[in-house]
Amino acid sequence: MITRTLEYLVPGSTGEAVEMLTPSAGEAKLLAGGTWVVPDMTHGRVRPARVIDLRRAGLSEIREEDGHVVVGATATYSEIVASSLLREKVGLLPIAAAKITGGAQVRNFATAGGSACYAIPSSDAPAWLVALGAKMRLLGASGEREVAAEDFFRGAFRTAARPDEMLTGMAIPTPPAGARFAYHKLKFGESGWPIATAACVLGLDEEGRCRSASLALGAVAETPLRVEVGAVLEGSPVTREVAQEVEEIAHRAVAEPWTDVLADGEYRKSVAGVVAKRVLLAAANGG
Amino acid sequence: MTIEVERAPREAPRRRYVGSRQKKLKGDLFVRGKARYVADIELPGMLHAAVLRSPHAHAHVKSVDVSRALEISDVVAAVSGEDARELTGPVPHFIDPAVFGGKTAEVRCLAVEKVVYAGQPVAAVVAASRNDAEAALDAIAVEYEPLEVGLEPAAGTQGGTLLYEGWEDNTIIHIPFVEGDVEAAFAEAEHTLEDEVRIQRYTTAPIETRGYVADWDTSAESLTFYGACQNPHPLRWVLSHALGLPEGKIRIVAPHVGGGFGLKMHGHPEEALVCMLSRMLERPVRWIEDRRETFLIGGREQTHTFKVAFDDEGRITGLRNNIVANVGALGAPPGWGMAFLTALSFPTGYRIPNQDVQVSIVATNKGPWNASRGYGKEATNLVMERIVDLVAQKLRMAPAEVRRRNFINKDEFPYKTNAGLNIDSGDYHGALDKALAMMGYDDLRAEQERLRAEGRYLGIGLAFELTPEGGDIPGTLVAGFDTTTVKMDPQGKVTVLTGVTTPGGGNETGIAQIVADEVGVSLEDVTVIQGDTGLCPYGFGNYSGRSMLVGGGSAALAARDIREKLAKVAAAMLETEPENLEFGEGVISRRDNPDASLPTETVAYSVLTLAFATAAMVEPTLESTRVYKPDNITHIPDEKGRIQPYPSYSSAVHLAVVEVDAETGVVDLKRFGVVHDCGTIINPTFVEGQMQGAVAMGVGAALSEELIYDDEGNLLTDRFKTYLMPRAGDLPSFEMEHQVTPSPFTLLGAKGAGEAGVGGSQAAVANAVNDALAPLGVTLRQMPLSPPNVLRAIREAAEKGGVS
Repeated sequence: MITRTLEYLVPGSTGEAVEMLTPSAGEAKLLAGGTWVVPDMTHGRVRPARVIDLRRAGLSEIREEDGHVVVGATATYSEIVASSLLREKVGLLPIAAAKITGGAQVRNFATAGGSACYAIPSSDAPAWLVALGAKMRLLGASGEREVAAEDFFRGAFRTAARPDEMLTGMAIPTPPAGARFAYHKLKFGESGWPIATAACVLGLDEEGRCRSASLALGAVAETPLRVEVGAVLEGSPVTREVAQEVEEIAHRAVAEPWTDVLADGEYRKSVAGVVAKRVLLAAANGG
Repeated sequence: MTIEVERAPREAPRRRYVGSRQKKLKGDLFVRGKARYVADIELPGMLHAAVLRSPHAHAHVKSVDVSRALEISDVVAAVSGEDARELTGPVPHFIDPAVFGGKTAEVRCLAVEKVVYAGQPVAAVVAASRNDAEAALDAIAVEYEPLEVGLEPAAGTQGGTLLYEGWEDNTIIHIPFVEGDVEAAFAEAEHTLEDEVRIQRYTTAPIETRGYVADWDTSAESLTFYGACQNPHPLRWVLSHALGLPEGKIRIVAPHVGGGFGLKMHGHPEEALVCMLSRMLERPVRWIEDRRETFLIGGREQTHTFKVAFDDEGRITGLRNNIVANVGALGAPPGWGMAFLTALSFPTGYRIPNQDVQVSIVATNKGPWNASRGYGKEATNLVMERIVDLVAQKLRMAPAEVRRRNFINKDEFPYKTNAGLNIDSGDYHGALDKALAMMGYDDLRAEQERLRAEGRYLGIGLAFELTPEGGDIPGTLVAGFDTTTVKMDPQGKVTVLTGVTTPGGGNETGIAQIVADEVGVSLEDVTVIQGDTGLCPYGFGNYSGRSMLVGGGSAALAARDIREKLAKVAAAMLETEPENLEFGEGVISRRDNPDASLPTETVAYSVLTLAFATAAMVEPTLESTRVYKPDNITHIPDEKGRIQPYPSYSSAVHLAVVEVDAETGVVDLKRFGVVHDCGTIINPTFVEGQMQGAVAMGVGAALSEELIYDDEGNLLTDRFKTYLMPRAGDLPSFEMEHQVTPSPFTLLGAKGAGEAGVGGSQAAVANAVNDALAPLGVTLRQMPLSPPNVLRAIREAAEKGGVS
């Protein structure tokens, strides 16, 4: 039950939203799909004085913009899954968004932007954004700025966004044509949160040698981890031996594993390499 | 003392409905959203209660100050434990351990002076809305003096953190079940093994949480209580004691209930609390439980440390088992008794002549247990089936064969177990063969060999399950009989008022099927009313798989009275003898001349309208109230002091096929099959529905469901995101067949069908996972078989050097 009396505002534009946010920064919560904010308010974990619902702020568009695909901050997972632009240019997002926990009801409400802003360690979107090299577009009273996804996630439930800033969109550099994508998610049962995830973008040449590779782990640490696989992969075909090396690199990359009630850090670290290996092989074999 | 038991009637009615797949009566209400649950009840002037719960697992309550909460404008009342003590008495225990020689403690709706678990109610607020009530909880100031917290039974028994004043340790009761010469069995054994099974704390999680509405009528000085509860009449007895009101002044109504599983058996503090508040304020008061509050109530946390003696042929000759059950704080619900039943139910359906099974039931600073489907007997099945598989593994013998060699044979029934249980009937060898054939067992083993060669870990797990059902615990309101009234109106339609209730499963449909057959009317012409102490005969509600057994049995007896009376009058009207009548669906005809017939309605009308003429030979009422007491319950102790509290023993054989991902510990349940024997089946659809739900519960118990506490005793798994109940997508379609060995002791030959399935499926999955990982030398002892637990066991086995 939400026990605090609060002010509920629905801005009609980003400008209006920023005006509403500025004076109440710190006391306000932005609402996109609400699949995190509302349960947290219900359980008394957050008690905002003001809730700003972004549903009419015009931020749900998914569009192309010089070499990028920009996913609006309030685009729902269902909209991401249905986007032909994303399917054509950034196939990872529709593949991964279809695997969101919670089924159609959650996919119709929840947003990748909201998930990024909440920065829950055991959620899906952060690792996708890091693997894709997304730029997070932030808007505040002092103007707009872009922060690389890798720098956006600062810790568990912490981002680079200032209290008076809001996310407007995520600009994803269009991967080279023919890039291969895969998303691997380990979770315990349909209702549970991700325990370890891996997102991979792979560019292969005609001979199947790796031209470019990006791999990020999610849910294994406070923030998504980019795994430095370039040196091992580039110029080489994706063999089992190479995948084995990637497994070890990924395992080592988890310095301070995340612990929650479903899985402790020891477990997460033990499976981090496994999901990295599996996502790499899946991407090389066509997702 | 002997009890006269009514056997099958001279001439059984033609069964049109019993045994057939009828749809749930009024089932459309549920899919149309028209079923009325407690949370749908709105009464004029109704207020809303919220409960302040202790943040400490063990503490003295120094003071509770509600004055600031009372200053809030929408708050109508705020009460502390001291206030409540003035207004209500203690809540009587559903099953008081003292009845069995154990320790007991007073339970009050709001804690006074001391709290013994985190989440225990300490104060309550009543306000105009639930939001207002919950918000005002923050304004209550409670001063605690924290005490040392004991979450494990071992710590508790040392006496350092005594939960209750006057107890010398935290053990509620210790019960031995010893039979035969165990020393000799082990001394002479060709083989022995010892091992352990640790069962996690888990619970039941009905989709509808608990909820109560109390409505005090000042002018009548009476109370109406609407509750998501399983046992209205016994609850009335409890509330009468707690509130100091005569039972006649309390009416309990259980509207539609969205799942019970034992959680809605009573003794919960909020029941008396809501009534107290309504009486105090002279207004209706509602309280609806939060999911977080539901998870405070636990069940089933036990450790079994056992030794087994067996011969070269795989025959088990002796069993020692030391059981320690962590039942949490002692609550008034019947939870703690489950561990008693765990020990009592050994060694299930196996012939093991010598046993020493002992159980220590220990209180700790976790939340109290309530009854949970299986009522402790599921743990017996899990542990027994692990034992049989460990014997098979040690002898390198087929698990099915070891079972065959130890099963009670079908010609040995009724069979008295070591603890004095009298198993009615069964054919365990037959059910095993049926299950192996249904699942294609030999092909599965061949597939396993093939996959092992590829480095994949397929596992096949068998489990037998015996479930004592329909129990009666002497000296308590847990009864093994029940009462039903059947009435026919002058239009020939039938109303059934029964003492059994439904948690949503559909026993009302089964009862209607029985009555429709017995009186010869169509199913649509039978209305079943249950769950209202103002209307129904005194009964005990639902638990222990009893509803068809005794609800169905008593309905059949009452319906036969009606039929007999109709037969007498119809015989006069058709100028023949009652024995010459055939009862059709709404029509009664002469056997020797089917054209000579009367609508049942005409006969029913005549009973009431021709009472001084055609129907003069019968008492002019078409109502009968009958009790059905099944045979086979014996409370007079035998020469060894044992009693026999269960009339029926259903059985099942389960088979699970899993694949384990040895890199992540993730278990994929690929197939699941069960052959179930609950004797005569009233409605196969409902029996299968019960079994499907029970298997899903057992799979969840085996793989993922766990209530986890932090070191201070705070519950961490307080929602479905962290308490992982399987969803449909986590489960394969279950394969299911029936075997029918009717009970010779029950009226219809039926055995309980509501509880079986949890322990058997849990055991089959546990055996399958162990089987899958046998090549790695893994033995899993800690439940659930969650990926972290499985991966840890794999790593530990590897560190020990793999297969021993």
